[in-house]
Amino acid sequence: MQIYKHEIYGNFYSWRGGLWIIVASLIFSLVAYLLLTDKELSLLDQGEMLYTLGQIIIALGIVIAAITASSSISGEIESGTFENILLVPIKFRIIAIEKVLSVITMWGILYLVCIPYLIVLSNGTNFAIPSVFYVGIFGTILVTGISLLSISLSIFLTSSKNSVMTAIMIVLILLAPSLFFGSSLKKTDFGIILENVNPASHAINSLDSVLVDNEITLKQQNIHLAAVSIFMVSCIFVFLYCTRNFELKVMK
Amino acid sequence: MIHDNNGISTSMLTKDYNNGYRALDSLNLNVQPGDIYGFLGPNGAGKTTTIRLLCGLLSPSSGVGRVGGFDIRKENLKVRNIIGLLPEGSGFYLWMNAVEYLIYFASLYKIDRNVAMKRIDDLLEKVGLAYKQFVPIGYYSRGMKQRLGLARAILNDPKILFLDEPTLGLDPKGQQDILNFLLKLNKEKNITIFFSSHALREVAVLANRIGIINYGKFVAEGTLNELRYLAGNVSKIKIIISDSNDIDVLKILSSLPFNIEIENYIKKDSIDVIISDFTDEQLNILIDTLRGFHININEIVKLDMNLEDIFFNLTKSRKQKNEFNEGICLESRNINWRAN
Repeated sequence: MQIYKHEIYGNFYSWRGGLWIIVASLIFSLVAYLLLTDKELSLLDQGEMLYTLGQIIIALGIVIAAITASSSISGEIESGTFENILLVPIKFRIIAIEKVLSVITMWGILYLVCIPYLIVLSNGTNFAIPSVFYVGIFGTILVTGISLLSISLSIFLTSSKNSVMTAIMIVLILLAPSLFFGSSLKKTDFGIILENVNPASHAINSLDSVLVDNEITLKQQNIHLAAVSIFMVSCIFVFLYCTRNFELKVMK
Repeated sequence: MIHDNNGISTSMLTKDYNNGYRALDSLNLNVQPGDIYGFLGPNGAGKTTTIRLLCGLLSPSSGVGRVGGFDIRKENLKVRNIIGLLPEGSGFYLWMNAVEYLIYFASLYKIDRNVAMKRIDDLLEKVGLAYKQFVPIGYYSRGMKQRLGLARAILNDPKILFLDEPTLGLDPKGQQDILNFLLKLNKEKNITIFFSSHALREVAVLANRIGIINYGKFVAEGTLNELRYLAGNVSKIKIIISDSNDIDVLKILSSLPFNIEIENYIKKDSIDVIISDFTDEQLNILIDTLRGFHININEIVKLDMNLEDIFFNLTKSRKQKNEFNEGICLESRNINWRAN
């Protein structure tokens, strides 16, 4: 797990490395403050508030995972450090897995930071545990899938610029129906198909059903869980394919 | 046929990239343990590809290769355990210092922490970085980074060390330091060293065997003397004798009991004769004959092709052959002869 430790150490080595946690905390604080104090937003019931915050947490987790994972290998190839890593007697796939684990750890930290906000916003309701549980489970599955997919892009494209751009586009496609589609577009055939095949939409719709419609059992969420799990399994296959036989073809 | 020694051996090793470009074509290599092997070739000749194949960073398209007794394709991880590589333009984690950097790599090689710390202290001392060991690598000069890269390459106590252009971009002092370090390393630990270089002088100084590659194909291999022979070198001497109008030196030379080719004959204050293709015995007869006629020999200089001449001659031949095939006929290039 030395590469994993190195990645984590690199991510938090200086205040700059850990800046994203401070920014994430500020975003959560701002959203929570607005939800509680803004005249219009404070009219939402607590379930809606938690659902809004849950969406932001998952979206932030996905964005951080996509950017970090998509540049993790291509960035090292470009800076000339990866050739040295490949020389050590560790299988390439293990190296890639340790890098994915470090990205998932970043999500874990983000998740720990967001827990107090979820608990505070659910004060006085029975949504504290479901919100923490479902944000955790959907966030972890989606972040794992996105990390695997983004690191595969990083391996395949071997260019940070291209892999980061492609990963961000994938994230935008995943988040578009939930964050950018209006209710009328969602009701079109295109909107319905996109929502049904989109794992991020399933995760967000699941939060909606848990926190707004009070359907908190796992059984009630099995379709959504199955959809995000299929996405993650697909990403695992892509990852296994991309890590099967890596060759350092690009000259620095 | 592959020689299964504990050095480096390849048989018909070939690398084709996906775009159809053949970077290496049927390389047959045999490097004995303890050798310092210089690998020469122009830009794009296939030197880096060869090193990457031998280190397991690339998979061969065909052919076989063994490094330290292990198959480069099937026993890739075992190969990596016994080799070290200093790649060309090696990158560093600039936020780390030298000690942190080497500790990280020691941990990747699963070297015990105490052993690693002792080894790192020793290595940093040897490569002359002990005084900067806690300075972030971002502040290092190119020469210092190269020395740190060298320390990393031998951190795992490799049996075989690969170096891709180890002195590229270094000042003369930095180059000399690296060469001295490598020679010492080879002498003390009998490490097999395989290095590629453009710097012909350093190859001549360092390597006991030299391979020349061009357009992905092996052009020649051998010791410096063997390469001279392959490049068409015949032994030559230049004899400077005092001019004597009474004696016909050419007549004397042509009366010798063996055939000599007089390549250059300049009659000024002294006579300058270059004689090709001679043996030591013939040289002694020649001297005795000239002295027998009381001719004063002012100077005898043995002329050898230096590595630069050999390199250009051998790579030129290949280039000419290729370009001839494309219908282009190049004018032959004169080879300069220099005294060693």
